Amino acid sequence: MTADRNLHEGDTRRQFLRRAGLTTFTLGGGSVLLAACGGDDEAAVKTMTSTGPAAAPSASGRIDFLSFEAYDLPDPLKAWKAKNGVSVKPTYVGGQDEVQTKLKAVGSSAGYDIVTYNQGFKSLYRELDILEPLDEQKLPNLKHLFPYFAGDNGNFWVDADGTRTGVPFTWGLNSMIVDTRRVTKTPTSWHDLLEPEFKGRVAIVDIPTDSWGVAAHVLGFTPSQVTKQDGEQVFDLLAQIVAQSSGVSPSFGDATSKMTSGDADVCWAGWAGMNELAAAAGVTSFESVVPKEGSVSFCDAFALPKGADNVDTALAWMNESLDPKVNADAAVSLVAGVTVKGALRHLPKTLRELYAYDDLEGLLEQAPLNDNPPVESDEFVTIEEVQRGWQEIKAGARS
Amino acid sequence: MTARLRGGPLVLATPAAAGLLLFFVAPLAAFGVYSFLTGALYEVKPPFTLGNYEDVFAGNLNGKLARNSLVVGLLSATVCVAAALPMAYWLRYASGRRRTVALFLIVASFLASYLVRIYAWRSILGENGVINRALEGVGVISEPLGFLLYNRFAVTIALVHIFLSYVVLVLYAALAPLQASYLEVAQDLGAGRLQRWRRVVLPLVAAPALSAFLFVFVLSASDYVTPQFLGGTNGALLGLEVQVSFIGTGDYAYGAAIAFCMLASFVVCYALIALGLRLTRLDKVRFAT
Repeated sequence: MTADRNLHEGDTRRQFLRRAGLTTFTLGGGSVLLAACGGDDEAAVKTMTSTGPAAAPSASGRIDFLSFEAYDLPDPLKAWKAKNGVSVKPTYVGGQDEVQTKLKAVGSSAGYDIVTYNQGFKSLYRELDILEPLDEQKLPNLKHLFPYFAGDNGNFWVDADGTRTGVPFTWGLNSMIVDTRRVTKTPTSWHDLLEPEFKGRVAIVDIPTDSWGVAAHVLGFTPSQVTKQDGEQVFDLLAQIVAQSSGVSPSFGDATSKMTSGDADVCWAGWAGMNELAAAAGVTSFESVVPKEGSVSFCDAFALPKGADNVDTALAWMNESLDPKVNADAAVSLVAGVTVKGALRHLPKTLRELYAYDDLEGLLEQAPLNDNPPVESDEFVTIEEVQRGWQEIKAGARS
Repeated sequence: MTARLRGGPLVLATPAAAGLLLFFVAPLAAFGVYSFLTGALYEVKPPFTLGNYEDVFAGNLNGKLARNSLVVGLLSATVCVAAALPMAYWLRYASGRRRTVALFLIVASFLASYLVRIYAWRSILGENGVINRALEGVGVISEPLGFLLYNRFAVTIALVHIFLSYVVLVLYAALAPLQASYLEVAQDLGAGRLQRWRRVVLPLVAAPALSAFLFVFVLSASDYVTPQFLGGTNGALLGLEVQVSFIGTGDYAYGAAIAFCMLASFVVCYALIALGLRLTRLDKVRFAT
């Protein structure tokens, strides 16, 4: 069992960041050189197609940025922006869905230069054709990626034909968050949340793909390949979990608020950053644990949307995000994992120990990165069926 | 001296009419067309179909959400008008020198943001909230009351809190032309307190009160923010399904069909209220000038 416990330092992810407004957080401990992190930064760049020496393009001008607050890495990229005279016009979203909604609604005339996407949305974005290929020649820092992220067996960032569309810069786990003020015996299984003692005490966030992913994983299915028949089991589990809650929270921040105010004790498919929001509210009793069934992970990547008009600067930005120091600073500000091996030496101890980097592949096998359910399928539960089913469960309309 | 504008009312109405056409009628018409097109992934395309409307009425999700919306809308609107009417009456006729302060407090309540009010109710109604702690403190209960939060009751309370101030101001404005002398004349003619209310005040404020009722009903029944924070599983409303269709599933056609069904139901409510006013001839009641 991998546990990312007692993280009370660092910052947040997504809505949490938006709500908390904590975009910087100084961690103690200083830099520690790890023997384990020396060595092959050049590893596994097999997806790269470059033939000549790669170099980051020159950066300048304004970047129109569309993603979650703090994903524009205001502090980690501060020096780089100042040095290159780059300014940012951010448009923040509350959920990944808003990215494709905005890109499709406005089309290429929107002029966004950088968006981010969760790996689960790659298939959808491929189908929607809203991303531009990235020129790997202009992303020399790809060589720093951990082999797992460089390898990309799921084709989340590099298509089967070698076309790169994403630069993974942050990742984490959907763990179980437990408030130890009221839960004295930490649950060891996700199924423990169905026990009577947790009736009305479970927090759950309104991100159907996260909840579906965890539920499918717990039941032994691959979330993107759950047959229509097996899907009923997953929906049943989700319905039972929601029935154990007092209602679905619209954001991680809201779920944290529920727990800190004593209206919930545990969070299904939570995230380590909730600990920090709770700590900011004076509650330091949250633990982030991964039960015995494992969980699922998420990884977000920078991408170039169709219609981007400052491409070179966008590419230079993405390249800079893979600089070991910048990548580490991003992990600190997002309370997340690093995608660059050399970044480990820049991480404070708490974040370095958050995930088992010495066996990253093993960890991500236990808590894999998944694709979302397919857009269309006669065999598998589709993303629309997940959304509809989730709506029914939330409203108590699914028996 | 009054300057006459060439073209008169037509010229004056043009900017507002143009704004309405551009920002309300045109998008509404586009939505109307969307609702009859075939939904694709984050877009709509031919052929035209009634399938979206069939989907709205299929299954039991929308039925449940519509019932929730109706209940929350009716409750919120009824409580708002019922509570606002005596407040407006007091402000108009009995508040004296306290009127300015009272009006200031009512207007000041607009300064609190929507989300702050919602979270305030969380801290009042929650298991560790003000009410439960107070009741536990005085020994009335030994376990916190769980039914105060995350249900239609909590949603209704928050919506009443949000809209009550608007309704008070609308009704206060409606009572403004009603001189106290009207009521004194009615009293001189032998009308008791209740009769004065029933036969003088209520007929004169019926139309504005029903307008305020409709205003609160429409906004409450279609709200999708408050239910997410306070609603729980039985407090979800239909507006949420519209939001999910447009942003979550990218099914614009289905979302537009739900939105149009809601619009149609609101138009029916408006028509029923207008018809009621006409049948009772309350729409003809005017202040004497």
